[in-house]
Amino acid sequence: MSNINDFILIKCSKLIDCTGKSPIENAAILIEGSKIKALGHESKVVIPEGAKIHSYDYPESTIMPGMIDCHTHNNGFGDGRLGDELNLLPDEILTLQSIRNLRASLFSGVTTIRENGPKNSTLIKLKEASDSKIVLTPRMLICGRALSIIGGHMGYFGSEVTGLDQARSETRNLIKQGADYIKITATGGSTKTSFPFRHSFNLDELNAITSEAHKFGKLTATHCVSTQGVINSIKSNVDMIIHCIFKEPDGSDKFRPEVVEQLFNKEIYINPTLHVKRASIWDLLHRKEKIGLTKSEEILLDKNKKDFDTHLQNCAKMIDSGLKLITGSDSSWSSYQSGNTVFEIECLQMAGFSNMKSILSVTREAAKSLDIDDIVGTLEVGKEADLLVLNNNPLENINNLWDVKDVFLGGKHIDRGSDKSLNSVKQLRPILN
Amino acid sequence: MTKTNSFKLIKGERIIDAKDGNVLERGALLLQDDQIISIGREEDVIPPEGAQVEEIIYENKTVLPGLVDCHVHLNGIGDGRKGDQLNLLSDEVLTLQSAKNARTHLFSGVTTVRDCGAKNSTTLRLRDAIQMGITVGPKLILAGRPMSIIGGHLWWFGIQATGPNECRAHVRQLVKEGVDFIKITASGGSTGTSVPLRPSFNLEEMQAIVDEAHKFGKHTAAHCTNTQSMINALDAGVDTIIHGIYNEPNGDRSYRPDITERIVQQEVFLNPTIHQSRERIWQLDEKSQNEKLTSEEIEELNTTKEGHEQRIEEVSKMWEAGVKIVCGSDSAWANYKMGRFQADINSHISIGMSPIQAILSATNLSAQSCCIQDQVGTLEVGKSADILVVEGDPSKNIDALWNIVDIYQNGKLIDRGNYI
Repeated sequence: MSNINDFILIKCSKLIDCTGKSPIENAAILIEGSKIKALGHESKVVIPEGAKIHSYDYPESTIMPGMIDCHTHNNGFGDGRLGDELNLLPDEILTLQSIRNLRASLFSGVTTIRENGPKNSTLIKLKEASDSKIVLTPRMLICGRALSIIGGHMGYFGSEVTGLDQARSETRNLIKQGADYIKITATGGSTKTSFPFRHSFNLDELNAITSEAHKFGKLTATHCVSTQGVINSIKSNVDMIIHCIFKEPDGSDKFRPEVVEQLFNKEIYINPTLHVKRASIWDLLHRKEKIGLTKSEEILLDKNKKDFDTHLQNCAKMIDSGLKLITGSDSSWSSYQSGNTVFEIECLQMAGFSNMKSILSVTREAAKSLDIDDIVGTLEVGKEADLLVLNNNPLENINNLWDVKDVFLGGKHIDRGSDKSLNSVKQLRPILN
Repeated sequence: MTKTNSFKLIKGERIIDAKDGNVLERGALLLQDDQIISIGREEDVIPPEGAQVEEIIYENKTVLPGLVDCHVHLNGIGDGRKGDQLNLLSDEVLTLQSAKNARTHLFSGVTTVRDCGAKNSTTLRLRDAIQMGITVGPKLILAGRPMSIIGGHLWWFGIQATGPNECRAHVRQLVKEGVDFIKITASGGSTGTSVPLRPSFNLEEMQAIVDEAHKFGKHTAAHCTNTQSMINALDAGVDTIIHGIYNEPNGDRSYRPDITERIVQQEVFLNPTIHQSRERIWQLDEKSQNEKLTSEEIEELNTTKEGHEQRIEEVSKMWEAGVKIVCGSDSAWANYKMGRFQADINSHISIGMSPIQAILSATNLSAQSCCIQDQVGTLEVGKSADILVVEGDPSKNIDALWNIVDIYQNGKLIDRGNYI
């Protein structure tokens, strides 16, 4: 597709290309079709002769790659309801909620999401609608459904399997239906019938799933909220560990440096999902501000705070050990509403990332973890023109990521309506601590 | 709902209340929560003492009821694809498309729609989602799945009934699922396996459907693209005839004043969907400005033009004879995208309506045909505060309806900038 009229020229005062290089001042990006044709200092970006150019000028803005959120639950409401209740809604309603969440993400500057567990075929169908331009969404990588044991975490969404043959056949089934990767709940979780401190699949089942997925070139990611799940995942060559919480079968906390070493040696990506816990804390604090808490809610608040602090400290240790932590919000699960991915980035910074590392965790590194770094994640010639235009430089303050001026997806300027769009989903920090 | 002490006072250069043809200069509307509680000349509309009143003044603007489109297909994409293809899309995809259409139509000034046929339960689920606050849309008057014979028009949306018993069972099932009216395809249509020039249901089946619907207080609307199907609809006591084309079985066009007279006598509404074909004419005309049309397109343009002219002539006679003609776009069926109801309203000028008559046909009468005249369609005390504010004076120039300034739904200003 080489139409001479297709060029878009975008100028900005600062460009963070997320390749690791320092920002370029007074930069320009030339886009042909959906891809970056040239970029650099504006004096170096040459416009082809006779080309008709559509220009965007951002003389006081910073441009960086669109964000990549490695962990979303688009079916969710982010209003604190459990998955056990969420899954009772009909597929059509969950589909409509999903497009709302996807718009919230896109408008907030997230141009790629990886969906981590929806009901039935809702996201498969939604991706079809997106591909046929019926709806506008970020780029989507979907798992179809999360693989679970009977009664395991998210089993209610439709893929409960037992034994090697069922594990393999459901993996094949998901891939047939369009799954881009395979999500596995390797431990229990918030699902009432599941056991969060125990592993779910036996090691041979986990091996069957990951080897089947890898056979077709699909990545795997496991939900692990206790240590044995992490250990099993390492053994079966899982590509990304989600949550990565170090808890013993009795629920006690025990950080395991030798497990971390194995994670390092196998170069497994970690998606720590810090803010989803903080969002639950904030939910309780908002409630405390407004109407006060019951005794059991106070106990829950203290427990959540302790869990968050422990996980934050563990993340700091994992960062020190050289593990590859990436941004995946987990929204709109639990109390974390889509469109607020920046809260998770902020948490990674609290865990020890510099501003640049925090930004890379939601761009270049996130793209690598999803094996899409040949398409997105950095701004380089030949990559998709997924751009986030910010009013202020996020390297100075990570919270400048909130202040979105414009979003481009594949070179296309996204019409995000007015400020009311994002304001309608913005979650507030509590006044109390 | 208990009333709060929150009021809105809306003042306009002129108000078209759509009760009759009157235009009220310098009028005012008082809203309490979701309802209209007073309307009249500016000086006569006075909020209760001590009330919190938000006053909104619309200088040089016209205030009128939110539009009521009595014929939409929320499932539709409006890109020219046939229903035979559309129905192959999954329920989830059709629900997404429906939500998009609902939003587009609401943002274009339509605060109530009647959906005349959708696949499975897609529109019913959309209504649930709107009630849950997941998405926005007009008030929805729903048929759910249309009643069709085997292979009849719209059969792939989910119902193919044979015999009075099956017909009654399907009506009961639809009522159980929460539909507001029953849509019947009384003749074939664009569906490949259907026969547009022949009736579909036999009279006794039509009678069973209408009888069962009326028993539960649900009205009926029948798709009729030939004369015999109109006769059947009238014999069965249908409430709205949709399209209403005087086609003989051999394809001849033969206007029947006697049937028109029956429509008038039985006080049946006619939704002629005049603009549907004109939209295609406009598209092809526009295309021909920039590029050469293919021979198929030229033929399509010529036949569509001819058919449209015949329609105008036919519907003009029906209007003259006193038929209650209601605006209903039929979008997003065929080539007619949603958000353009104004084009259908405009087309009613060409059958002899004055601008104010066309407005009444798209508000008051349209609401009557949907049996929700107690809630919407006019600006009257006790009705829902569904209000449209436009630039200019649509009672003089109907195309002023395109110039949307503000839309209120249930007394709330629609935020057309919120795309989430």
